Amino acid sequence: MRSVAADGGYLSGLGFESEKPAGLFRWLTTVDHKDIGVLYIAFAAGAALWGGTDAMMIRTELFTAGTDVWSPETYNALFTAHGFTMLFFFATPAFTGLANYFIPILIGADDMAFPRINAIAFWLLPPSLLLVRGGLVTEVLGKMLAAVGVRWELLFSLEPPTTGWTLYTPHSALLANPQVDLVLLGLHLSGLATVMAAINIIVTIFTERGENVTWSNLDIFSWTLLTTSGIILFAFPVLGSSLLMLVADRNFGTTFFAVDGGGPILWQHLFWFFGHPEVYILVLPAFGLVSLILPKFAGRKLFGFKFIVYSTLAIGVLSFGVWAHHMFSTGMDPRLRSSFMAVSLAIAIPSAVKTFNWMATLWGGNVRWAAPQIFCVGGIMTFIVGGVTGVFLASIPVDLVLHDTYYVVGHFHFIVMGVITFAAFAASYYWFPLLTGRMFNRRLGRIHGYLSIVGVFLAFLPMILIGYEGLPRRYASYPESFVPLQQVSSFGALIIGIGVLIWLTNMVQSYRLGPIVTDADVWNLRESGQFSREWQWFETQLEERTKFRR
Amino acid sequence: MKRPLAAITGGVTGIAVMSVLLLFLEVETRSNLAIFEAVARFAGMPGNVAFGFVLFVLAGVFAWPLAFMALEEYIPGGPDPATRGMVLAVVLWVVFVLTGRGDLSGGLLAIYVIFTLLAHLCYGFLLGAVYGRLTSGGPLEAERYDPTDVSQ
Repeated sequence: MRSVAADGGYLSGLGFESEKPAGLFRWLTTVDHKDIGVLYIAFAAGAALWGGTDAMMIRTELFTAGTDVWSPETYNALFTAHGFTMLFFFATPAFTGLANYFIPILIGADDMAFPRINAIAFWLLPPSLLLVRGGLVTEVLGKMLAAVGVRWELLFSLEPPTTGWTLYTPHSALLANPQVDLVLLGLHLSGLATVMAAINIIVTIFTERGENVTWSNLDIFSWTLLTTSGIILFAFPVLGSSLLMLVADRNFGTTFFAVDGGGPILWQHLFWFFGHPEVYILVLPAFGLVSLILPKFAGRKLFGFKFIVYSTLAIGVLSFGVWAHHMFSTGMDPRLRSSFMAVSLAIAIPSAVKTFNWMATLWGGNVRWAAPQIFCVGGIMTFIVGGVTGVFLASIPVDLVLHDTYYVVGHFHFIVMGVITFAAFAASYYWFPLLTGRMFNRRLGRIHGYLSIVGVFLAFLPMILIGYEGLPRRYASYPESFVPLQQVSSFGALIIGIGVLIWLTNMVQSYRLGPIVTDADVWNLRESGQFSREWQWFETQLEERTKFRR
Repeated sequence: MKRPLAAITGGVTGIAVMSVLLLFLEVETRSNLAIFEAVARFAGMPGNVAFGFVLFVLAGVFAWPLAFMALEEYIPGGPDPATRGMVLAVVLWVVFVLTGRGDLSGGLLAIYVIFTLLAHLCYGFLLGAVYGRLTSGGPLEAERYDPTDVSQ
């Protein structure tokens, strides 16, 4: 146990007096929701950096028209791994981590409802990431052994899969590479972890709320996480079942997705019945964070709180009615197609309600351009572009032209790299003082914010244009005429990458050496009456910590 | 802890993480960068990967950390030893890139340059941070955060 720090008694970071064991053992055995939240966040950050490496390698290949950097197989493996890693191991765990840390504090609970299940849910994730990216890990082991003269062929037999993150059959069912089976099992495992975490969040919010926390004054972040967890509860089991069916098709001679069985289209229905709600599983927590953080730096209360909650719930319900818009070009019945078009267009309404409410919150407010606010407003900007391009894709005639082109890639990256990642960055800055007891370098934070906005537009607007010109996605080579736009896009990706490195440096160095926070009101929230529960909790923590030095 | 021992501990930590990073990079890029051949060239043993790698590890564990210990006060970036370690690592990286790049060109060279720089920065950071942690009584002095000061 450590009790006194060298800086004269102010105990910074996580190192304050506690009953917990010290060092590595603490992190391996913890059931404290705050520790598990930190573990989730660290895991998600590591996965994001790994997935970001894939992205930089993809953009390197696309810098020139030919396949002259990686082989086509490596390129296919790269975008597949990038998708898996970012969706399942970065975005989902990042928000689950924030939920774990902050929901109990925000609702006045001591801990999550099931602390041990919480720990299990987290500890399922590292093995599932290893399974999904298993080929690389075994090859690293193989190369290590080969370096000392032991050559174990089995370790080299797993090739990174080249299926794309959607795992479309028949390709994924027929691919001989045994690594595909490990990917399916790894995804299944991560799905179990996600469902456990979701159940925990739902039960915690329903049963562990403090006496003065009612449904009407529940904070917006908890509302969105509650909705998200509800979607997870219905969507992920479908993914789990479909994955097991695919495993059975590959290994045990079943014909769920074979032409003489359910057919390849069955996979698409099942996959997108999970896959489209998954999009909202990722974006709703981001919306929640924007709704939470934006008002604090606008000096005004969130405009239309109730309608933000209603629109969240509406998106949660509608998200299950839009899956077939990924399949407009498969030749399904036109009547069915038009009904899915109607629902897909309808889901734009609650999304727009949120956007207009955020704008109204800023209207006439006293806006402070701190790093979290730059990311919130930048996130709204990218969400508008990503959302409007989505409305176009939702209409059948446009979709038939643009389906499977770069337009789609540009559209969803404006959302996943734009608003989703931006909200995660906003939260990382906004709560950094609370998590570490120190302040980050604010100038670097702002630079990171502006770089990211410029980077996202430079990287993904060209993709929209490339898609309009009709270039299909998922090819390592392309005609010469696309070179200028592709190079602008790669340049944008580089800017995003530089921003991420600035963020990483800032987070690590500020955690070690940043100025120590002694007043819980780091963001001057008292002025506008928004000194919310988590900061009040932080204030009591600071008081308890400083007691020791007296 | 005695300063040489602290420096070597830092070197072990740094070289362990750096080796794993390079190994991951090698496998992730499907051996296109031939990173360990580059390591061998860097260590002055072109073609002999195993022996070159041993030299690389020995240099990373003993030579650079002890040099870092001796030169620490003269390296810019202080007082944080981790920043100084990164400065030293950048110097090492320049040599690494110049001696090790082989016949890489174009996109591969860009990937090689950027990711080996990141691996070196990790090495330098860990070397300095571990060394600093083990030689001083505690974390560096930090000022208190003042919300009204907008300059930082």
